[in-house]
Amino acid sequence: MGRSRVTNAFKPHFRPEGHYDRSAAHKPILVLENVMKVYRADAPVLRNVDLTIERGEFVFVTGPSGAGKSTLLKLIYLAESVDEGRVLFCGRDISRLTDESIPHLRRNIGVVFQDFRLVPYWTVYQNVAVALEVMGLPSRVVRSRVALALERVGLDGRGEDRVSVLSGGEQQRVAVARAIVNEPAIVLADEPTGNLDPVLALDILGLFEEIHEAGTTVIFATHDRSLLEASPHRLVVIDDGRAIEARDGLGDLGEVMRADPLASVH
Amino acid sequence: MFARALRGVRQQVGTQLLSVMTVALALFCMGGALLALENAGAMVQRWGAPVRVTVFLADGATGAQTETLRSALAALPEVSEARYVSSAEARASLGQSGDRAIANAPVELFPATIELKLTPSSVTRARVASVADRVRRLPMVADVETYRGFTDRLHDMLVGGQAAVVVMALGVLLTVLAVVANTVRMSLAARMREIEVLRLVGATRSYVRGPFLLEGAMLGAIGSVVALAALALLFFTTRAQFETAVGAALGLHPVFLSWTVVLGFLAGGGALGAMGSAAALRRGLTI
Repeated sequence: MGRSRVTNAFKPHFRPEGHYDRSAAHKPILVLENVMKVYRADAPVLRNVDLTIERGEFVFVTGPSGAGKSTLLKLIYLAESVDEGRVLFCGRDISRLTDESIPHLRRNIGVVFQDFRLVPYWTVYQNVAVALEVMGLPSRVVRSRVALALERVGLDGRGEDRVSVLSGGEQQRVAVARAIVNEPAIVLADEPTGNLDPVLALDILGLFEEIHEAGTTVIFATHDRSLLEASPHRLVVIDDGRAIEARDGLGDLGEVMRADPLASVH
Repeated sequence: MFARALRGVRQQVGTQLLSVMTVALALFCMGGALLALENAGAMVQRWGAPVRVTVFLADGATGAQTETLRSALAALPEVSEARYVSSAEARASLGQSGDRAIANAPVELFPATIELKLTPSSVTRARVASVADRVRRLPMVADVETYRGFTDRLHDMLVGGQAAVVVMALGVLLTVLAVVANTVRMSLAARMREIEVLRLVGATRSYVRGPFLLEGAMLGAIGSVVALAALALLFFTTRAQFETAVGAALGLHPVFLSWTVVLGFLAGGGALGAMGSAAALRRGLTI
């Protein structure tokens, strides 16, 4: 994985006209300022969340089930919108983006889910290539970049297989390949190991670490303690709707994680 | 876009076939209603228009005047036969019923007439009324009888029947709309994951919508072709039997849908499919 970080330089093409803001390259990749998200008035999911993530960081986001980890990620790829506060992506407030601009933002963000979100009747190649086809790239470029992405996730030569015949671990690799094939500025992983056994979970975590080593910013949401212990990255805990930094390891997290009945599953 | 739409069809051949057959079945009912409507129109035309007109000649009409008028009327395109009936022939004709009073009545009581037979396929009620009005003003003519009382009642009855067919056709159209929209929607429901993935990786709404609308339109158009083919097959295989059994008695020759209706039917099928897709996509594109 000797890819240069320069190749992953972020170009914020999230305006339809493809405006390129050079100053964005010197700003934190993601800043959440006083973010509030409320589904029920009496129980905000996120309250006054302040979080800054620098370019090239690997950040674990953890917390009990229902704490708001997925919601936090959804606010970044705009599957949800903030009720208060701002989300700055490379210095630009994305919480006010128009519907027409959202697809252009998403082309700069790779997302991986617990349930893989693959199209079962598509081949591996089609599931990965779709991220490039929506950008209108020539098929020759699509072919070579998909081949490279599949090689990076260890699925070289599996392009013609239907994803429905793949194992869970392999399907998650396809999802990862789709997330990285267009070399996004940031990859969001929402419980990507939730459906995998512990060995495969560590395997997938290793894959994300390789992606991170290539220069991509990774936000990895999980409540699997074994993964948090296995990898010494920055840790943010979402608890009671607030984001808390836990830079000194898991020691101060014990109480929070014990409150999560699902934590013992892993 | 077309290639992506075709790929979508190929990847779910079974589902798409089922959808096409459902749409075809619904459109077959619609086509049947249209066929009934078209033939009901022909029936109104055939039976609702006058077929006979009697021109009563004035007492002073000369033989030359009568012949001039008869020739002029015979030359009209709607008239298939124009026959002069003298007073004596009229009395003899009515006397055939055996009524002695008629047979012994003075011949002056029976005005001479010109009896017109009209061509049903080319005559219209308005045209007959117009011609009768003009003929009535001629000096050698006493009166014109178009037998409108009978034909008007028949026409009203047939128009009523035609209106009932129109109402039924509208009902069928609404049902077909619902069936096609729901069929396309169900076909798309299985592909919501595909739409979700497309939106997730940054596809614009138009990029997502285009192929699905095209697919819906293709599904609707293919369904309407299948429906029309089935309808044509049924119509042309049973037409001879229908003509023998009912057509001869009614003087009706059933006709298939006109080319304009066929083209409208195909376009309508495509439009219905596209509208079904658009309705189904409204939900998917909120992701």
